[in-house]
Amino acid sequence: MKKTLNINIGNSIIHIEEDAYESLTAYLNEVKAHFSTSADDFEIVTDIENRIAEMFTEILARDQRQVVELADVQVIIAQMGSAKDFEMEDEDVVGDIPQAKEGVKKLYRDIDHAIIAGVCSGLAHYLHIDERWIRVFMLITIFLGGSGILAYLVMWIIIPRAVTRSEKMYMRGEAVNLQGFFRNFEEEMAANQLMKRSGGFIQEVVAAMERVIGLLGKTLVKVVAVIIIVFGSGLLLSLLVTLAVLLGVWDASPYEIFPLNIVSANYLTQIMMAFFITLAIPLIALILFSIRVAFNSKALNRTVSFGLLIVWLMGAMSSIFYVAKVVTEFKEEAEFSQVRSLTPYKVYDLRIDRTMLLSHDDSLRYDINPQKFADKVIITDERGPFTTPSRVGLMIEKSETGKVSITQNYSAHGKTFEKALENARGIQYGFSQQDSVLNFSPKLHLAKMTKWRDQRVVLVLRVPIGTKLNIKKNVSYSLDRYGSWSCDSFDDDGQDYRVWEMTDEGLKCRE
Amino acid sequence: MIAENTQTQMRKGILEYCVLLIISKGEIYASDIIAELKQAKLLVVEGTLYPLLTRLKNNGLLSYNWVESTSGPPRKYYLLTSEGKEILNKLDMTWMELSYAIETSKQMKP
Repeated sequence: MKKTLNINIGNSIIHIEEDAYESLTAYLNEVKAHFSTSADDFEIVTDIENRIAEMFTEILARDQRQVVELADVQVIIAQMGSAKDFEMEDEDVVGDIPQAKEGVKKLYRDIDHAIIAGVCSGLAHYLHIDERWIRVFMLITIFLGGSGILAYLVMWIIIPRAVTRSEKMYMRGEAVNLQGFFRNFEEEMAANQLMKRSGGFIQEVVAAMERVIGLLGKTLVKVVAVIIIVFGSGLLLSLLVTLAVLLGVWDASPYEIFPLNIVSANYLTQIMMAFFITLAIPLIALILFSIRVAFNSKALNRTVSFGLLIVWLMGAMSSIFYVAKVVTEFKEEAEFSQVRSLTPYKVYDLRIDRTMLLSHDDSLRYDINPQKFADKVIITDERGPFTTPSRVGLMIEKSETGKVSITQNYSAHGKTFEKALENARGIQYGFSQQDSVLNFSPKLHLAKMTKWRDQRVVLVLRVPIGTKLNIKKNVSYSLDRYGSWSCDSFDDDGQDYRVWEMTDEGLKCRE
Repeated sequence: MIAENTQTQMRKGILEYCVLLIISKGEIYASDIIAELKQAKLLVVEGTLYPLLTRLKNNGLLSYNWVESTSGPPRKYYLLTSEGKEILNKLDMTWMELSYAIETSKQMKP
């Protein structure tokens, strides 16, 4: 049993066996390719097709058969002649037709298996060596002074291309006869589609360059894809680890770290998951796409893609929802202040004291054993991306009453005014007076369970006219300077502190 | 190579002349032309004839009529145009000259 096909050739419907059909298609493709340079190609090919149809009809009628077989096609091709035979008509190719001899080998360039121009593969056929060794040899000669490149160019120009089937068969040293032709039909079918009968050397060079650039481009894209796969996987892994850390797999209290202490513990897990999904899914998609590009693997199943998209949308929407929720917790602002009288002195020293004010809560939280830290000062100077923003400002004003006082203004944001006030109460700020020394803590601290809600401390120091202030330089570095108290030469003299005096017009820098 | 070239050129020219001669005898179908050429042992394969006929037709030497066929598609029956007839006369003249030239060349004594 054989499969048959129905074809319409020359307006006749012919039943034809599959293998016969393949041979016929190959033959007609060859004929079309041969006449494609002629202006009358359509007419000639139609004439030939009509004649073939007629011959089929005659054969079927004569033998009283229904179906055209491979043998019939072979008979018809023998009668009609192959493209090689037509070349007699070709004015340009006259005299260049190789004669059919068994096993004669000729040197041609194999453009079907070419990397650049088929010189190496052609030589491989001629010398009967695997083409990869010739290519390796050529590559080695490039490093030996580049003689290989010159040799290659010379051979490119001298050695003709194997274009027609008979030339290709000569190149391979095959017998050039009808059986040989039939053996080569299938390869020819593929080659015919690729082969452009443009001819010129320049065009060939351009085509070769296109091929090389295409190859390089493809390689480059693959290299980039592999880099994306490697880095993307690394990023995905670190994202997973981060998520695990933030969800407290190893350490139960990551909530004290800055960006996390904004978010209420009630929905910290949800917001983390949402962020993770929003970031991880595009990363996964990118990695999968790169894998596809790098290894030519199949596209992702449609259902899986849609699933990923939906999960991502859900993640992105909950991210937005929670971010909006967090933002509303900054809606209201509240402020309260404490006034404290200071013991009057003529001269004050203003200093930064890095000793943290530790409440009982804090001692428990940081697991501080007072015995261990006896006579030691804890110095913290943390700066970095995970430092909670801590805004402490100092303003120095003239005292109207003649008394020395410091006002501490605590402010914070919250969802409601009450909440904001509560958040402001969570501020722990260290200020102390030791005789004439005023110690300022460089930053504020938040009491346990207090979320960061843009808490600020603004200190207003009020001193009467004539009071002198020795301000250490690190005071102005560590605290926000409110109002205009600055000195031109403040930064670049060798002194550790500057002397200021309160005058009628405000604080003045004393030279 | 030179021998092949000359042979091809000679065959090509004579093939055209013969085709015109065959058609000049009256309206004729391509496959009958082939049969006659084969009888004259001039043509190897049919495929060669179609481009030749098309070229002669496009040069105004030939024209054709479509004739219905009992076996298969309609057939093209070729005939000479008046221009074709003129050319054929010229070719006849040339052939006589050539034939004379060859005969004479062969008979000339060394």
